[in-house]
Amino acid sequence: MAPKQKGGGVEAASALLRAAQLLGRTRFPVIGGLLTDIDGAVAALALAKKLRGVIDHAAGEELARGSQIMRERGASPASFGETRNRADVIVMVGSGPLKRDPGLFQDLFPEEKGLPRPGDQARRLILLGDDLVNAPTHVKLTQVGQGGSDLPTLIARLGAAVAERPVGDEGQGDPLAQVAESLRTAAFAVIVYSVADLDEPALFTILDMVRHLSVATRAATLALAAPGNGDGVNLCSTWTCGLPVRTSFAGSVPEHDARRFAASRLIESGEADALVWIDALAEQGVRRPKGVPTIVLSSSDDAGEGEADILIEVACAGRDHDAALYLPAISGIGLVKAAHPNQDKPTVAAVLNNISGLIDKREAA
Amino acid sequence: MLIRLKGGRVVDPLNDRDAIGDVFIENGRIVEGASHGRKPDETYDLTGKVVMAGGVDIHSHIAGSNVTLGRALMPELPVLAAQGGASIAPSPDAWGAYATGIRYAEMGYTTVIEPALIPTHAIEAQIELASIPIIDIGALVILGNDDFSLGLLRDGGREAELQDYVGWTLGHAKALGLKVINAGGSEAFKFNARTFGLDDVVPDYGVTSRTVLKVLQRAVTELGVPHPVHVHCNNLGIAGNVETAVATMEATEGLPIHLAHIQFYGYGAEGEEGLSSGAPRLAEAINAHRNVSVDIGQVMFGQTITISGDILRQFDGRRGAHPKKWAIDQGDGNGTGIVPYQYRAGNFANAVQWSVGLEIVLLAEDLWRVLFSTDHPNGALFVRYPEIVHLLMDRDERARMLERLPESARQVSNLASIGRELTLSEIAIITRGAPARLLGLTDRGHLGPGAVADVAVYTEQKNKTAMFASAHLLFKDGALVVRDGEVVNVTWGKAYHVAPGVDAHIERRLAAFYDRYYGVDPSIFGVPAQIAGRPDRFATVPCLN
Repeated sequence: MAPKQKGGGVEAASALLRAAQLLGRTRFPVIGGLLTDIDGAVAALALAKKLRGVIDHAAGEELARGSQIMRERGASPASFGETRNRADVIVMVGSGPLKRDPGLFQDLFPEEKGLPRPGDQARRLILLGDDLVNAPTHVKLTQVGQGGSDLPTLIARLGAAVAERPVGDEGQGDPLAQVAESLRTAAFAVIVYSVADLDEPALFTILDMVRHLSVATRAATLALAAPGNGDGVNLCSTWTCGLPVRTSFAGSVPEHDARRFAASRLIESGEADALVWIDALAEQGVRRPKGVPTIVLSSSDDAGEGEADILIEVACAGRDHDAALYLPAISGIGLVKAAHPNQDKPTVAAVLNNISGLIDKREAA
Repeated sequence: MLIRLKGGRVVDPLNDRDAIGDVFIENGRIVEGASHGRKPDETYDLTGKVVMAGGVDIHSHIAGSNVTLGRALMPELPVLAAQGGASIAPSPDAWGAYATGIRYAEMGYTTVIEPALIPTHAIEAQIELASIPIIDIGALVILGNDDFSLGLLRDGGREAELQDYVGWTLGHAKALGLKVINAGGSEAFKFNARTFGLDDVVPDYGVTSRTVLKVLQRAVTELGVPHPVHVHCNNLGIAGNVETAVATMEATEGLPIHLAHIQFYGYGAEGEEGLSSGAPRLAEAINAHRNVSVDIGQVMFGQTITISGDILRQFDGRRGAHPKKWAIDQGDGNGTGIVPYQYRAGNFANAVQWSVGLEIVLLAEDLWRVLFSTDHPNGALFVRYPEIVHLLMDRDERARMLERLPESARQVSNLASIGRELTLSEIAIITRGAPARLLGLTDRGHLGPGAVADVAVYTEQKNKTAMFASAHLLFKDGALVVRDGEVVNVTWGKAYHVAPGVDAHIERRLAAFYDRYYGVDPSIFGVPAQIAGRPDRFATVPCLN
C-alpha cells in the first residue's frame, strides 16, 4: 500500500512533505501511540523535542502510574528469571496478569527444576481475587478472596495481615492471615500484578508489604510489562530526557505530568493542535484519540483510509525488520529478529527522521 | 588538513613531555610536526594554554538499565545537585544520555568507560551509550554472580569452559573488559545472606568468593584481554574493610587486577567512632603490589545517587537513603541497588571518606596505577572532577576544606600532614595516560605521533576548578568540538570492545542453559554488529594473544 494522505493515495515523498508542512505549522503537537521499537522511540523523542511537543504512549496511563510509584517511594522488583527460578511463593493479584500473558503460569512454573533456590518448600501459587483460573496440574494453587471483596480491599487487608495488624473479625482463620503467614515463612515471595489493574494506594501497599517482608526474608514484586513495548519506550524516554512518557518539551526544561500531558486529554481539551500517531507493532484494540489534524504511521494493512489527514505505511517492528523491544523474559530490552524480513516499507525511525529533516529544510528556506 | 596547535604548554607524560611547544593534527591523528615542512592549513595560538590528551575516564556509570533505573527513581537529582553548587543544569535531562556527552566534552574528556554492563541488558546499554555524543566509550560486562559461572565452578575442573564463557560474554555484549562485583555476594543475597566476605561460601554452589574471583581473573588473563579483571571487592563501605582490599591484592598472586573505587575500601576501625582512615595501609599495599591498579572513587560533599550491582551492600545501605526512597532490583546475575545519598561535610563518616580518597592518591608512589574517578555517581557526579583536581593540586584548598570537617574526622585523617601537590603532568597521568594504557587503548591518553587526535586545551590559571571545568578547546578525532567551554560541533564516537576467540561448544551449552532456566535463546540479548543505525559504531581492540 502506498503512503496516503487525506483524499487519496500519493507518492511517499509527498506524504512526508505534507507531514513536515503540517508539523512545521503546529504550536503544541502530541507524538502519541508510540507502538514502536526503541529506534522509533528515539526518533519520536527527538521530533517531540524539536517541535516542543509532548510524548505519550498508548499505555501511558499505567506507565505513568508505575513511574509515579518509583519516583515517590522506589521499587523492589525481581526479574522474571529470578521469579521463575527461585520464588517459592508467588502471589498473583487478580486474573489481570494472566489475561495480559496467557502463558504466564507455564513460564513461571516450568515443570523442570529451576536454578538453586533458597528454602526447601514446594513452589506454590496463591491467587488473590475471585476470578476462576486454571493452573497447570503440577502447580499447587490456593485461591483467596472469593466472595465479593474487590482487589484494593484484599490488598489492603493482606498488607495489614503481613504487618501483623488486625485485619477484621475473622482472626487466625481468615484466609488472608494464612496468606500473610505463607509470605512471612517463604524463602522468596514474589507478588505478581499488572499496574493497569491497580490504583496508587494499592501499589504502595504492595511495595510496603514486600519491604516489610524483606527485613527478615526475601521478597519482591513482578509487574507485568505494559503492552506495545510500553516499558521499552518508557525506558528510552527516561534515558533520553530523564523523565517517563507524558512529558512535554514546550518549556526550557522537559516537564512530566501524568494528567496534563495525557495525549487523549490534550486532544479532547484542544490544547494540542496536532497528533502524530505511531502504530507499528500490530497491536490489537488500540484506540487513537481524534479531533486534531493527524499523521498516522501504521504498519496495519487496514489502517483505515480517510481516517487520518496523512497516513504513512511503515514496517512492523519485529515482523518486517529486526527490532529492539522490551522483552519480559529478560526483564529488559532485547533483540527480536524479523519474522518475515521485508524492506519495502520504511521503519518508524526512518520516517520520523525524514520528516524531521524536511522540517529543518523548511525552516532553513 | 594540517592543524597546528601552537605555543601551548604541552603536558604529555606518556611521552615524557612537559614544555612549551606545538602539536600537529592531520586526518584525525596526531602527526610529527617537524617532518611536515609545510604550512598548516589552520593554526591555533595557544600561548598561556595547557595542551593535554583528551580525558579518559576508567569508571563512570553513564548508561544501562541500572543507571536508567536511577534516573527513574530520581529525576530531581540534577536539580538537587545544582542547588548544592554542583556545576550541572537544574533539569532532569541533565543526566540523560545526550547531556552526559556534552558535559564530558566541555570538561575536555573524550573517552569514558561504563563499568557495569548487565549481560542480558547489553542491548539497552549499548543503545543508550550510542545516544551519548562526542565521547568514545567502552563497557565492562559483569560476571561472577551468574549461575552459569557458578555452576561450572561447582562442578570443578571446568576452567577452560569458564574461560570460553567469559570470552563469549565479552563478545556477546561487545564489552571491553570484565567486571566482577562482590563475587558470589549477590548470589548469596538470593539465599538471604546479608554479609559476604572473601572466604565466605556461595550457598548451594560451595565455592568461595576468592575462588570465583581468581578463576575469572585467570580467564581474563588467558584470553589476553588487555584490561585486567576490574573488581569491586567484598565488604564495600564497612569499617575495617581495608583488610579485605589488602587480602584481595594478596590473593591475586601477581596476576594483573584492577580494584575499582578503592576509597570505599580504605577504612580502618580505629578511634572512638570505630572508623578511621585506612589510607596509609592501603597505599602501602598498592605500592607493594605492582600487579594492582586502582581507581579512587573520590567522595565529594553534596547530593548524589548510588548505583551498584553490589545488591547486598545496597540493601543494607537503603537505610541511609536521602531522599528516603530506593530501588532494590533483584535481577538476573548481580541485580542492582539504587540508593540516593547526600554526603555531608559535617558527617563524621562522610568526612573520613572524603579524606581517605585524597590520601590514597597523595600517598601513591606510582600514579600510573592509581587512577582518577568518583565512581560516578556513587562518590560524586562527574561534573565535580575539576574540584577534585583542584584539591589534589593545591594543599591550601585541602586545608580550607578540612576546616569544615568535624574535629573527630580531622583526628582520624592524615590529610593535614600530607604536603604533596600533584603537578599538571601527574594529573595528566591519572586522568589520561594511565587509564588509556590500562584499558589497552594505546592510541589515546597521549599526544605522540599516531595517537588519535583527541586533544584538550585548558587556560592555565591558579584556580584549578575553573581551569578544568571548561576546556578552552577540545578536538575529537581532529575535529574542533568545544570552544570556550561550549560544544560547537556535535560528533558521534565509537564503542570499543574485545572479541576473544572461543570454542563454539560454549554456544550450544549456553543455548541449552538459557532455554531451560529462562525460556529464551541467548541471541535475544546479543549486541548486533550495527546499533542505533550506525554501521561504524563498534571498533575491536585486539586481544594480546
